[in-house]
Amino acid sequence: MRKDLVASMGLLVIAAVYYAATLTIQQSTLEDEIGPTGLPIVLAALLAIIAVVIGARAFMTAPAVPVSDSDKDPEAPWPRAVGILLIGWLYLPVASIVGYPLALVTMLVAVALYEGMKPSVRMFVVAIGGAAFFWLLFEVVLGVRQPEGILF
Amino acid sequence: MNQFQQALLMLVTTPVVPAAIGGLIWGILGGATPGISASITMALLLPFTYTLEPMPAIVMLATCYIGAEYGGSIPAILIRTPGTNASAAVILDGYEMNRQGRAGEALGISLWSGVVGGLFGLTMLIMLTEPLSRLALLFKPTTYFGLGILGLSVIASLSSKSLLKGLAAATLGMMVATIGTDPVSGVSRFTFGSPDLLEGIAPLFIMVGLYAVTELMTRTGVVTTIAKPFASIRVRLPRFSMMKKIARSQAVGCAIGTVEGLMPGAGGTVASFIAYNEAKRWSKHPEKFGHGSEEGVAAPETANNTVASTALIPLLSFGIPGSNSAAVLLGGLLIHGLLPGPRLFEQNTDVVTGLYVGSFVADISQVLVGSLILPVCVWLVNRPKPYRTGFIFALILSGVYTVHMSMFDIGIVLTAGTLGYFMKYFGLPFLPAVLGVVLGGLVESNYRRSLVLSGGDPRIFLEDPIAILFLGLAVLILVGSLFNEWRVAAKARKAGVA
Repeated sequence: MRKDLVASMGLLVIAAVYYAATLTIQQSTLEDEIGPTGLPIVLAALLAIIAVVIGARAFMTAPAVPVSDSDKDPEAPWPRAVGILLIGWLYLPVASIVGYPLALVTMLVAVALYEGMKPSVRMFVVAIGGAAFFWLLFEVVLGVRQPEGILF
Repeated sequence: MNQFQQALLMLVTTPVVPAAIGGLIWGILGGATPGISASITMALLLPFTYTLEPMPAIVMLATCYIGAEYGGSIPAILIRTPGTNASAAVILDGYEMNRQGRAGEALGISLWSGVVGGLFGLTMLIMLTEPLSRLALLFKPTTYFGLGILGLSVIASLSSKSLLKGLAAATLGMMVATIGTDPVSGVSRFTFGSPDLLEGIAPLFIMVGLYAVTELMTRTGVVTTIAKPFASIRVRLPRFSMMKKIARSQAVGCAIGTVEGLMPGAGGTVASFIAYNEAKRWSKHPEKFGHGSEEGVAAPETANNTVASTALIPLLSFGIPGSNSAAVLLGGLLIHGLLPGPRLFEQNTDVVTGLYVGSFVADISQVLVGSLILPVCVWLVNRPKPYRTGFIFALILSGVYTVHMSMFDIGIVLTAGTLGYFMKYFGLPFLPAVLGVVLGGLVESNYRRSLVLSGGDPRIFLEDPIAILFLGLAVLILVGSLFNEWRVAAKARKAGVA
């Protein structure tokens, strides 16, 4: 139930931020009865109400008896999940500097290392081969340009 | 020229066959990769279809769905790891057959059942979709508003154990849909001065982020134990006597798959487990289930392949996707400016006929293609997880960039993935959020158009009987769902006290 309380607070924050952003929407002379802020205000209010009810229910419900997780698929804890996401975010500046193929090699090596693989020649060969495969697929076969870097 | 002649002509004059085979291969490979569900496989394909003509793009997505349903059973049978959620039921007897040295036979039954289920589902799709879509000819803006609300209510209440969480997800999705230029006044909303956001956020990016990036985040570092790597294996298709033996369980699978496909929120996973149980109940040898029964493989495989077609009935008729995979297909339709409903059947007959022909080609060629690419699937199944993760990530980053050649889009996808991770963590379902993104615009614009037509009088909604019916049903579903939740909670409390 603690999870639901945190979820409730998170949803309330989203509703509040969204409502605050709604207030910055400009007025227009072409506006209809509802206007561009009509639905966003309803959505912000709706999400806030849902968040309060989820929170209240979680608060009033007795803590659940812990259930066995044996049937549930194992999931990564959030700090670990954020790590893989960071690799994705880092791809953006790296690709803008060194270009698509090299950025892809870097990303493939980074993911393999992050997933617990020990550094080896084979890993680098797979990463270079993989990047070459994607470059051939997108740039040559499909004819779609991929990010160009400042250096390459 | 009638539709049958048009379909025949299409086989030789259009790229429907290569699109169907291409989609099928992609689907089988994606489905065979552990951790990649049918919807993720389709979401990964979505950016590639952006540059294609509408007809081959939709055919590829639909046949990818068909392929993924079979592909998912390959790791389920070989390494006791379902490739897709829907193939989890196949493990019960498929892996047992493998342990008895009958993996090739189990794969053959799975393929044959896929063909039977696929063709039956396609027949249902062709028979039911067009008549149902004609209903939509009577629709006015008020009706579309009611339909949108009904769709969101049904999905929100069925796709999660908690109605509130389903509604929260749908609201979040609708919030995303409000980003961009307001359709009526032209004012920009939530763009924060960024020109990249003026056209809004395409549902495609939300789908790739929610389904694919979230999955990568959730599974990172998680060690999956592979039962036993396979060197090679050959598919053994069932002989006539075996076909006769499994026909009853396939009939059960077809029936369950049709009903579940039509029901929003149910999907192939529910269908395959119900089909397994029902096939056991109707079988002459129920004691063999769980011990390597051929019927135990045939029933769930037939059911989830039937669903791959029947789930498209509510989607093509009314634009309401009943499952995650159908939602991705809706994303594909919207990318190409195609709106489901009667107009799709009138103005885009080539797309509809192509979809039918492509699905037929995929269903028929499944046996050959599935057998031929099995070694590639086995190779994929045996790859170390770090490489698989890296390659899927590379595919996401490269594929998303191809849509607008914009790094900003990759940022949107990664942000959607982050949102998805937290949604999953807190138990908020994805499908209502995706539907909120897709239907948000439809609900808002039709609501406002209705009020413009009535001069601001909300009683216009009470003058449309179909809208009243839809809105009434939505209220009933929401109240019923709340009551059901309350009853379950009360029961649990009682049990706790006792």
